[in-house]
Parts: sequence; structure tokens; C-alpha cells
Amino acid sequence: MADTLYKFLVEPLQYEFIQRALVASIMVGISCGLIGTYIMLRRLSLIGDALAHSVLPGVVIGFMISGKNPLSLFAGALTAGILTSILISYVERNSKIKEDTSIGIIFTGAFALGILLVSQLKQVHIDLSSYLFGDVLGVSDSDLILSSVITVFILISVILFYKQLLVTSFDPTMAYIIGISTSLVHYFLMTLLSMSIVAGLQSVGVILIIAMLITPPATAFLLTDKLKTMLLLSVMFGIISSVIGLYFSYHFNFASGASIVLTAVLFFAAAFLFSPKEGIVQKYFRRKRNTSVNLTEDILKYLFNAEEKSSGGNAVTELSADLSLSENKILSALKRIESKGLIKGEKENYKLTETGRDLALKLVRSHRLWETYLTEKNIVDMDNIHQDAEKYEHILSDDLISEIEEELGHPQKDPHGSPIPKKK
Amino acid sequence: MTVISVKNLTISYNKKPAIKGINLEVEEGSIIGILGPNGAGKSTLIKGILGLLPSETGEIRIFDKPVKESLKRIAYIPQKEQFDWDFPINVSEVVMMGRYPYISLFGRPDENDHLIVKEVLEKVEMSDNQFTQIRNLSGGQQQRIFLARALAQESDIYLLDEPFVGVDAKTEKAIFELIKELKEKNKTILIVHHDLSKVKEYFDKVILINQTLVAFGDTDKAFTSELINKAYGGRLTILQKAEQLFKN
Repeated sequence: MADTLYKFLVEPLQYEFIQRALVASIMVGISCGLIGTYIMLRRLSLIGDALAHSVLPGVVIGFMISGKNPLSLFAGALTAGILTSILISYVERNSKIKEDTSIGIIFTGAFALGILLVSQLKQVHIDLSSYLFGDVLGVSDSDLILSSVITVFILISVILFYKQLLVTSFDPTMAYIIGISTSLVHYFLMTLLSMSIVAGLQSVGVILIIAMLITPPATAFLLTDKLKTMLLLSVMFGIISSVIGLYFSYHFNFASGASIVLTAVLFFAAAFLFSPKEGIVQKYFRRKRNTSVNLTEDILKYLFNAEEKSSGGNAVTELSADLSLSENKILSALKRIESKGLIKGEKENYKLTETGRDLALKLVRSHRLWETYLTEKNIVDMDNIHQDAEKYEHILSDDLISEIEEELGHPQKDPHGSPIPKKK
Repeated sequence: MTVISVKNLTISYNKKPAIKGINLEVEEGSIIGILGPNGAGKSTLIKGILGLLPSETGEIRIFDKPVKESLKRIAYIPQKEQFDWDFPINVSEVVMMGRYPYISLFGRPDENDHLIVKEVLEKVEMSDNQFTQIRNLSGGQQQRIFLARALAQESDIYLLDEPFVGVDAKTEKAIFELIKELKEKNKTILIVHHDLSKVKEYFDKVILINQTLVAFGDTDKAFTSELINKAYGGRLTILQKAEQLFKN
């Protein structure tokens, strides 16, 4: 096992092209993770995708002018990216056309121009597919230097302009009032975005790079509500996805962009399902736990009422009818409540223990106070009042209940005439 | 001293005027209510004063300077819908934004800034929630933190757009107490308000608006039933006028 793992993880590292690919992956994770966080929070995902596509003609023109020189490639891509973002808002501002349509027209146009230019480059070999789909294993030294410089530049910018990026993202109006130019920050961010696209071009490709810009930040967003943590997590998911994708690409000959992006999506799916706060699995269990708490409380109240009226029906049958649950479910609920020491007995002969009675008293008090409150305030009519109070009574906050009692002027009886127990 | 001077301000959306020919001279140290029916241009007026919307005609001067030069002396609390409440930001980070005008380009908040944030959070009784993400606050608390941010900004003019919407009675009272304190410090406060019941209690002056300025002046003179009817019944009257035109 350890041996296989060694072969899978460490052995490839002896090759120089793998080492380069690894560094390139880390750079993509950092630059896209940082910029992507702001792109996501400012709802610019669509523009991000547009810019990624329209970088292609810039790259090709750069190539036509001075061959496969990373600097001309960089200059071409940057110019194309910035021009595209300016054009998109220019069309939107100067016609009835809305932003999404403007984005659609301009990026497909630019992308088409890129493909057209590539098809004209007959003699010279430019590997279109590596730009489109990424080829992390083919990263050259000069590519690497370029993406490292870009990453460092982005990192420094995000640190230095933290305040400006934060206030323009969260509250552009406030930014305007305190004299921060929102459009200047916007175009600066577009420049950084174009740069991060260039950094990711070689490993992920123009078509999928948007995924590296939004999927890791979205994953991070589900796990935290702090911006700094989100930036860090986003970078972390970006790096891990790129590295895992790289290994799969090497071992199984997968297209590198696709395997990197799929890994990132898997992380997102995991966060979506299992995030402690937002995950749907957690939400399911929380709901289930609430139902079980409610069931416990309903049973306690039933037993309390039965004792109060000293009516001795079959507890299991009556509860099963009242709560629309099978007798078996009631029986297992009773056993569970007994194990918590709230009730004692067997089958239909359960009695409240001291603790159980206290809790039941609290519940009845809550229920009757809620009933009184809801009718007094005309929130519900008498017919529905019981159901509504059943819903609210499980909110057992002492403060809130006392506040209701206070506001009602410490009533003795509920609307049905039953006594309201005092606070213990 | 005149703080805000608006001359012949007209702002249009899609070529339809939202406010038309507004003239105002606002004096220092008063609480002013901006009142009018829905769609009367109350928020537009505030945004227009700030220069957030392009104006067709008109000149606005604040502290006898063009708006752009005086912006930093204004604190603005927009309507709550304007914010993305899921944004990863907590209470004290929002309030700290009020200190940004005092921090240099690459600078970080210093001790004094943190002290001020702490003080204003105490003032609005939100110290216990300073690390809470803003989605997890009640409506009243959400309004309190934006007031705290405005206080941290230490401005001379405060523009509040419907600060009492979705706010509990206790918070409304607390917010109003703080606004009165600002007035005592000779600050100027403009409040867009839609509840007519507390106008006399709250405002020194009122601006009654329904696209055009219906009345502006001391509350007891401008907030009369005749002028209120004029502001709120405006659209009805236009319909009646139109019907009469049909009959002729």
C-alpha cells in the first residue's frame, strides 16, 4: 500500500516536467483562488468566462508578432482581456443592450477571431488544443517564470488593496462617497483577472479556466463567513485540485484541464453536501433532530396532561392517533425518552419522573402562554390557535416566555380556561 | 449656515423625470424629514444630492463647494435591500469601513480606529455581536450597524434612507436618540421617512415631495393637512384633471 502510494505520488517527481507542472499548478491555485474570490463576490463570473475566451486572439496575435515568446503572449492576452472588459461595459452603457447579452456578443466574437487567426497560421505550429484544454505536463521554464511573476503580483495587489477591494465589493456607494473610484478598482481587477487567466492558460486552458476562478471560491464560501478565511481556503482548494488533477493527468493520461476542474467540482460537491453550516446533509439531520426533540416534548406533554386530568387511556394508542405516527414508532420513542431518565415504566404504563415533570411543566406553560398571546394579539383565530401554539411552544427560551408573560400581565388562565403554570 | 444648497435639480430615469426643479437650502444643525408617497422621488432626491445619479439640470453645493469635494463630510445609510447580506463580513468590519477615509492608501486601521469602532459599537449596543456575520443579525441590529458605521465616519451631514423599516420599536427609539445627539453636536440629518405618524415628534423641518417640491419648512408650517393632501393626493388629482379633459 505504502509502496503504491509512493509510486503514485513521489516517483513522478523525479521528472523535471512534473516538477514544473507541480509549481505551475500551485501558481494557478494561488492566483485564481485569490482573484476568483472577488470575481465571485462581485458576481462577475460571466465576465470572467468572457475574458478567458477573448484572451485567445490576443495570444495568437502576440504569437504572430514575435513567436512563442512568453512576454509577447502575456502582453497580447492582457491587452485582449482589458479591451474586452472595456468593450462589454461600453456596449452596455451606450445602447439598450443589457450586460449579459453584451458579454455574449463580445466574447464569442473575440473567440471566433482567435480561431480564425489560428486557422491562418499554416506553416507555424501553434498547438491550439493546449490553449483550449490546457496541457499542464507541457509547461516550459519560461511559462513558469511568467506565471510565478503574475502570482506574486496578484498576491501583493490583494494584500495592498485589501481595503479598496473590500469596500468596492461590499458597498460601492460607500466607496464612491469616501473617494475610492469604483471604476478604477473594477478595471484594476479586470487586469488582475486577465493576468490570472494567462497564468492558468497553460495548465487548464481558456475554456475551463473560469472553473478555477469560481469553483474553489464557491467551495470556500460554503465553509466560512470570513473574507480572509475564504481567500485562504479558496487558494487551498485551488492548489489541491490542481495538484490532484495533475497526478491523474500524468498517470491516466487524462486531459489536464478536465481532471483539475473535475477535482475542484468534487470538492465543491463535498462542501455542498457536508458543510457544517450550509451542507444539505447537516440540514437533514438538524431537521430530523428537531423532529425527534419535538416528539419527545409532545409525549411528555401528553403524559403530563393525562396525570393532570387523571384520565388513564392507552397512552400508546392515543399518542399514535394524536401525532399520526405508528404505534411502533411511539414505543421506540418512549424507550428512548426513558433512557434519558425523563419517564419510567413500560408499554402503555409510563409515568413522568421528577425531571420529566419539570420539563413537561415548562412546555405546558409555554404552550398556554403562546395560546394566550396569539389570541390576545389577534394573530390567529380560536380554531387554529392550538396548532399554532403547538408549533411555537417548542421554542423554550426562558427570556422570551417570561417576556410574553410580562406583556400579557401574568395571566392565570389560557383561552381554553386551563391554568398557566408559574415559572419554577 | 447653509449646509446643502440644491438649485433647480431634475433627475430622470429613461427620460421620465423622477424629480423636477427642486430647490432647497438646508441649514446646519437640524433633523429634516423627507416625506412623500411611494415613487415620489424621496430616495432619488438623496441620491441626487450625493451625485450618485446623473442630473439633467441643477446645481448642488455642499458647504459651499461642489459635491465631489465635500463627499467625505457626508455619511449615507442606504436602504437595506442594497446589500448582499451573505457577504463574508462581520459587524466590526462593516463599521471599520467608516474609518477608511482616515486611513492612507495602503494603510491599516490603527489603535485609534479600533478604539472608535469599539466606542460606536457600544453606543448602538452591538458590542456583543462584533464578530457576527451580518446575515445572522435581526432587522433592527442590521440597521444599528450601519448607523454605527456612519457615526464612525464622524461626518457633518447624515443622509438616512428609510432607517426605521423592518426595525423594532426599541431600536427605532434608540436610533432616534442617537440622531438627536448628532443634532446637538450641530450636525445635519436628512431622513427619508414614510410613516406619517411620528413626523411632528421627529423632525424640525420637513421636505414634502411628489416629483416636484410641495413644501419645505418648519414642521408645524409645512406639515399641514392641506400640504400633505397636495403631496399624497397628487396623482389622484392628475387623474381627475385627465377625466375632466376627456369630458370637455
